[in-house]
Amino acid sequence: MDLDTDVLVIGGGMAGLAAGIRSQERGANTTLIRKGQSATSYSSGAIDVSGYLPGGSQQLLSAREGIEAITSLYPLHPYSILGFGSADNDDVPGLAIERVGQAVEWLTKHLKSTPAQLYGGIDSNLEGITLVGTKKPTALLQQTIWPGEFAVDDEGVMLFLGIKGVSDLNPKIASKTFLDNQARTGEPPHKVGNASLDIAPFGHGYNLSTTNIARWLDREENLVTFIEQVKKKAEQFGATYVALPPILGLEENLKNQKALQEATGASVFELLAFPPSVPSFRLQRGLERVFIEKGGHLLIGHEAEPCGIESSKITEVLARSPRRKVEITTRSVVLASGKYIGGGLAATVEGLRETVFGLMTVTDEFRESGKTRPQRLTNVVSLSPESHSLFGCGLSVDQFLRPVNPDGDATAENLFAAGSILAGYSYAMEKCGLGVALATGHYAGETAAANATGGGV
Amino acid sequence: MSKTDYDVIVIGGGSTGTAVVRDSAMRGLKTLLLERDDIASATVGTCAGMISSGFKYYNEPEFMDMCTDEVMHLRKIARHIVMKLPILFPVLDFSEISSGGVSKGMEEYAKRVERRGVPPFLILAPEVALELEPMLHPDVVASGYIEEFFIDPFRLSVLQAMDAKKHGADVYTYSEVTDLTVVEKEGIGVSYHNRLTGQIETVKGKVVINAAGPWAHKIAKLAGANLDLRLTKGSHIILDRRIVNVGITTRAVDRRWVYMYPHENTTLIGTTDLPTWENPDELVASHDEIEYLFKSFEWIVPSVREARIIRTMVGVRPMIPTWKVPEDEVSRSFEVVDHEPQGVSGLISFTGGKLVVCRRMAQDAVDLACEKLGKGLDCRTHIEPLPGMEGDVDILGLSEEHSISQHALERMRIRRGTEVQEILNLVREYPEWRSSMCTCEPVIEAEIRYAIRNEFPHTLNDLRRRLRLGTGPCQGTFCTFKAAAILAEELELNGEDYQLEIMDFLSERWKGKRPPMRGEQLAQEELVQGVYACVANLDQTMNELDYDLKPWEEVS
Repeated sequence: MDLDTDVLVIGGGMAGLAAGIRSQERGANTTLIRKGQSATSYSSGAIDVSGYLPGGSQQLLSAREGIEAITSLYPLHPYSILGFGSADNDDVPGLAIERVGQAVEWLTKHLKSTPAQLYGGIDSNLEGITLVGTKKPTALLQQTIWPGEFAVDDEGVMLFLGIKGVSDLNPKIASKTFLDNQARTGEPPHKVGNASLDIAPFGHGYNLSTTNIARWLDREENLVTFIEQVKKKAEQFGATYVALPPILGLEENLKNQKALQEATGASVFELLAFPPSVPSFRLQRGLERVFIEKGGHLLIGHEAEPCGIESSKITEVLARSPRRKVEITTRSVVLASGKYIGGGLAATVEGLRETVFGLMTVTDEFRESGKTRPQRLTNVVSLSPESHSLFGCGLSVDQFLRPVNPDGDATAENLFAAGSILAGYSYAMEKCGLGVALATGHYAGETAAANATGGGV
Repeated sequence: MSKTDYDVIVIGGGSTGTAVVRDSAMRGLKTLLLERDDIASATVGTCAGMISSGFKYYNEPEFMDMCTDEVMHLRKIARHIVMKLPILFPVLDFSEISSGGVSKGMEEYAKRVERRGVPPFLILAPEVALELEPMLHPDVVASGYIEEFFIDPFRLSVLQAMDAKKHGADVYTYSEVTDLTVVEKEGIGVSYHNRLTGQIETVKGKVVINAAGPWAHKIAKLAGANLDLRLTKGSHIILDRRIVNVGITTRAVDRRWVYMYPHENTTLIGTTDLPTWENPDELVASHDEIEYLFKSFEWIVPSVREARIIRTMVGVRPMIPTWKVPEDEVSRSFEVVDHEPQGVSGLISFTGGKLVVCRRMAQDAVDLACEKLGKGLDCRTHIEPLPGMEGDVDILGLSEEHSISQHALERMRIRRGTEVQEILNLVREYPEWRSSMCTCEPVIEAEIRYAIRNEFPHTLNDLRRRLRLGTGPCQGTFCTFKAAAILAEELELNGEDYQLEIMDFLSERWKGKRPPMRGEQLAQEELVQGVYACVANLDQTMNELDYDLKPWEEVS
């Protein structure tokens, strides 16, 4: 089978879908191939843009503040690259903030009134409360994960409400951790409670996942009993905030949240959860729906066949699924194939490589990493703000996000890269994974479309 | 006798130390075990669990006899944690079978098969070997076939300690001996640092039995005694699945024997053997050791590099101090060292030994202790069963009765035998505790609670040793925060200690995961960072809380 497209996007996570949607919006006929589940569907579903500076320990008050600092301190960070613009641009931070801000607003608009509806922006970081009771800074949270503002003199009670048989949340321990952290930082609320609901959905009382419960709550007939139980517990504790695992629905979470808040008078919200999480499924689905609505072609289960880059332009990519081969003729390519989870980067003991085009890979310090043993790119301490060089490895790109060769020139004039395949940042440490993916994807989509329809960047 | 006076104080809670405390307590002696960390937290926790026939020790027929006896004892007293595995010795050249003492080994092995209840030594035609193990190289010309028994070394040690407690012994973990003071005619005063309270405490033992393994020479020195040990580093690599059906043994690049065993739901490949003087706590596997093992197996199992390496593990063997001979010529037997000739009359140490003879080592040492105490008490450790041996466990019936998968119950049974029933009693009261916490090893919440309440773990790593929690392909990615919460709940830890518990566990896993980091393991590690750094924000917690760097993290 043959297929002709203006823009081919390889990879179906946040970066690929943002690129695909944007490219389609810009009038380019866009095809997206995806081999499996994206790392985005293995995320928490929160759009974090900039929570900490690389290696830093000071929580950033806003993504804007973060991008400003990053663009002046780390000239090859993806945010800095977004700020380069044309040769006469002398305000890198300004352009970077503008581009990230636009992408954030654009996504917020697209996801409005969908299950993945967002709250927040780049002017102020929010804190998502996690299943273990810790907090994570993020620019945006899904609406149903946002706990609401805490007043400085908040006298409210935060009730951690678990569900028997759902092992993700241990409400007793999460509430303790939350309270300990609040005491350490002096932030409200200072009162917590914990309890568990016994709802046994579909007749099961154990080995339940948050997805099971979310599906159960998507059915209207189950909501009434659930609300009653939550209400009872909320009243018992005088709760002003009710923290649940992310279970409010894959589809009906906004409606369900509203109904629960009306019934309890409390702010009822979901805790930020570990991958794979219900909110990440909502986000993934939401993005795919927008892409398809805009007329994009989504090819699921198709993997780009590895190939070398022979000339200055990529005109054809072979996509393979278990049952067929598709020869795709294209005018622009966006490579958003992710890092190690996504499969965009792979490593043997000899070194790192980019898996589709065999592009040059670099370390977080932009040294070639094709011959570096991965273990050498790790630190002896597993979890620390120093992170690991390994997770900052990826592609080095020019100001149009085109991967460069060892000479610093674009490897192909119509190949653009976006998302976690880019080098120069550790998303897990900086808390900026989906933010970088969104902003670079958005920009790569625009550039790829312009290149395909207008000819040249 | 005061509360802090003991007949026998045992130092070290490995397989030998726990065997000693059990033996001593069963003979009615007032006994204390002091372990600086947790039960089975060092050498024995890094072994493959083989209770060997002694095939490789054909030059020591008496030791082979002892191994055979001990295998039979262990099968009698701990049947529930013993399993049998066929082992192939495939060769690409017939000369490998006739050289290097293999025929002598076959001969000695054959003499003992009847007693061990296994088939005679067989040489299989290539097609038979390939049918048993399709992963073998197609050019294999023949294959030796033996059968060996394995035991869960963690469970063995914990059960020995539990049984000792049942017989009245005191077992203190996280108690690190700091000083030994010889008191003429009275015994030895033992000071230890209680790592849980931070206090230094003192007890007195008429006899002190030093079962500190690779630290035994340091313990002896505290009493002014001298103990020579030949210490060697042994590393394993662990693959994410069972890539073979049966065990395989072959000659390594340097002609040593190395092996590959399907182990629980993983594959173990080991071992190396390097003289070491490093602090055992700081050791990690080296690149050379990993490549040594791969290279050695590539000839026989060509696909060995295709599986994902999930981790490495490193242990230090305390061998008999025979010097200037190759490792495989050092006797694998053991010595019970009486320090009396050195003027330290109450101190007994070990050198050498293997897992298979841990019970016998204990018997010999406690015999000597009894002699010193002037008491003629008989050993009963080979007769009395360990906990969990009270009968058969009806997996099918229990699975139906409690709606727990047969798989999960069978896995529980091989850890616990008849104790399964007590865990299921908890489930009756708390039906939601049937949930699996660790999905790689289907460990249910009830078993975690049971282990915390009955088997004195203080940390998540202690729980891992008792439950295999977090030891599967994901190495704790999805169970660490859940199991830590249960531990925190049961031990009433505060929120900060809960977070530190997660960090400590991940640090320990990372120690083994880091050296072989390559291939698909990178995706797994990205996920770990995604869960614990990106979402839980625990990389920042490291700075805010009192995280103590681990010994191997302090080494630059």
